Amino acid sequence: MTERTIGIDYIARVEGEGALKVRIQDNKVEDVQLKIFEPPRFFEAFLRGRSYLEAPDITARICGICPVAYQMSSTHAMERALGMKVDGQIRELRRLLYCGEWIESHPLHIFLLHAPDFLGYPDAIHMAKDYPDAVKLGLALKKVGNALMTLLGGREIHPINVRVGGFYRAPTVSELNAFRPQLVEALKMAEQTVHFTADLDFPAVEEDYEFVSLRHEREYPLCEGDLVSNRGLKVPQDKWEDVFEEVHAPYANALQSRRKGTGTSYHVGPLARYALNRDHLSPRADKLARDVGLENVVRNPYRSIIVRAVETVYAVEEALRIIDQYKRPDPSWVEPPPVTQVCSGGAVTEAPRGILYHGYRIGPGGLIEHARIVAPTSQNQKRIEDDVRHLVERSLALDDAALTDACEHAIRNYDPCISCATHFLKLDIERQ
Amino acid sequence: MSEPIPPNPARASPLPLVIGLGNDQRSDDRSGLEVARALRPLLAGKARVEECESEGIALLELWRGADRVIVVDAVRSGAAPGTVHRLEPGDGFLPGLRTATSTHGLSLAEAVALAKGLGFLPRHLVVYGIEAGDVGMGVTLTPPVAHGVREVIDRILVEFETEPGADVPGRGPPDA
Repeated sequence: MTERTIGIDYIARVEGEGALKVRIQDNKVEDVQLKIFEPPRFFEAFLRGRSYLEAPDITARICGICPVAYQMSSTHAMERALGMKVDGQIRELRRLLYCGEWIESHPLHIFLLHAPDFLGYPDAIHMAKDYPDAVKLGLALKKVGNALMTLLGGREIHPINVRVGGFYRAPTVSELNAFRPQLVEALKMAEQTVHFTADLDFPAVEEDYEFVSLRHEREYPLCEGDLVSNRGLKVPQDKWEDVFEEVHAPYANALQSRRKGTGTSYHVGPLARYALNRDHLSPRADKLARDVGLENVVRNPYRSIIVRAVETVYAVEEALRIIDQYKRPDPSWVEPPPVTQVCSGGAVTEAPRGILYHGYRIGPGGLIEHARIVAPTSQNQKRIEDDVRHLVERSLALDDAALTDACEHAIRNYDPCISCATHFLKLDIERQ
Repeated sequence: MSEPIPPNPARASPLPLVIGLGNDQRSDDRSGLEVARALRPLLAGKARVEECESEGIALLELWRGADRVIVVDAVRSGAAPGTVHRLEPGDGFLPGLRTATSTHGLSLAEAVALAKGLGFLPRHLVVYGIEAGDVGMGVTLTPPVAHGVREVIDRILVEFETEPGADVPGRGPPDA
């Protein structure tokens, strides 16, 4: 019996705190455990007893990278619970704000966190010496996303302008028009990004994923649509808890999501959205995807970097479309009805890294009685373990250092956002 | 690819810039923000003062166009809490110090290194690091760190009475 143990203090370039343990016995992968220590559990507990109106601002604090996702899932869940319908320009403004988050988050991951893996650098700092223009491109695009979030949300990190029913203040037409030139510039940069990512070298790997995302009848999904998968799943988005379940893995503080019944993993994020909504891409995003030879369904997890770039083009085009048709809504929010009885609602929206579920029960008077928040990374957690298992199985000949690097890269394919106080991911590979 | 970042006139201020970094909710990690808040009225007309609760990448944008920049952040180096470090990371690195902030993206040290690589480093950059004790949830400083905050405020006020690069009284021996 052969035995080997590999330990790494932390993996950089992932968000939050966690650990990966791989146990190999006699050249066979016995166990893969991705341990994530994530904060949403605390949030669920201290939301109880707070007014439902506070949920968007409280849950935005869960993450500094995707606060809009938390605001959008919470507002939609509350509105569903209260039987509200928010449409028209307020709906468009929500999409515009979400586009800002995608334009901020995707380039950050593409250029500063993920590209170094493909180009052979330990981080973006070293990559910047040889690829300064690429890193500057990423920073410039991210800046446009941040600026859009600031324009609509009041500030870039934890926007403060979102409320149940709409926005505290809607921007004026001239404010949005003044922003247009930045988006026109961003569109060129996003197109450059697609070409940059498509020119990278990719391992020839395909995984058999169950892709899960929202699907809307006429638009690339952000806030609305049914929950669908490439294996026949199709349910209203508030039925998340009917088809998925959270399981407490004994080795982790976080809950892992899996399909109810089969207990299998599933894949959320850009690859899933793209596979299930390819027909709803905007014209330029669609053309670019075809120009760079991006297949209609991408099963190679490494090629998610190209899909993120295509989605960035989509987000910029969609932002321009919204600005060009914009009329300032007055009032800027729909007044919620008084809460006179217990009501429940759930909602799913598409965070940059995948679907984010919020479910709430509100008591008479409007205090939250129960909250459930399932982040995209906890939904991908089991799928990441599966990817790492397959990677290690086909890479056993690699030495420990190379295998460790490969595992880190496989994890980063998911742009995991393990939002927490530190950003350490401990990795242990144990060979027996 | 051509230079994609357009110049930002609003940032191209001739005034020196003081940036306080930190997290308001994490006890001693708020020390940089406290310094910025105390200095803002004292440096009115002499320097622009910014607070930054974001990660290191935001720094590259914040100090764009500024010639002289002082950054204050909580750090961890193993020294006693409240110890003040003064560094001039002109070579692009902050050896031996780990900033306690930065939950996402880059730490201060990484941001400095990246800025150096991209040619975004201000000509005169000084970093004050205040050794953190408690960085758990909390909205107050521990007493030794509060003392360190007062020391940094005084030292930055002295810095602005001199030209950048001049010998600053009380600067002490270099830490790195």
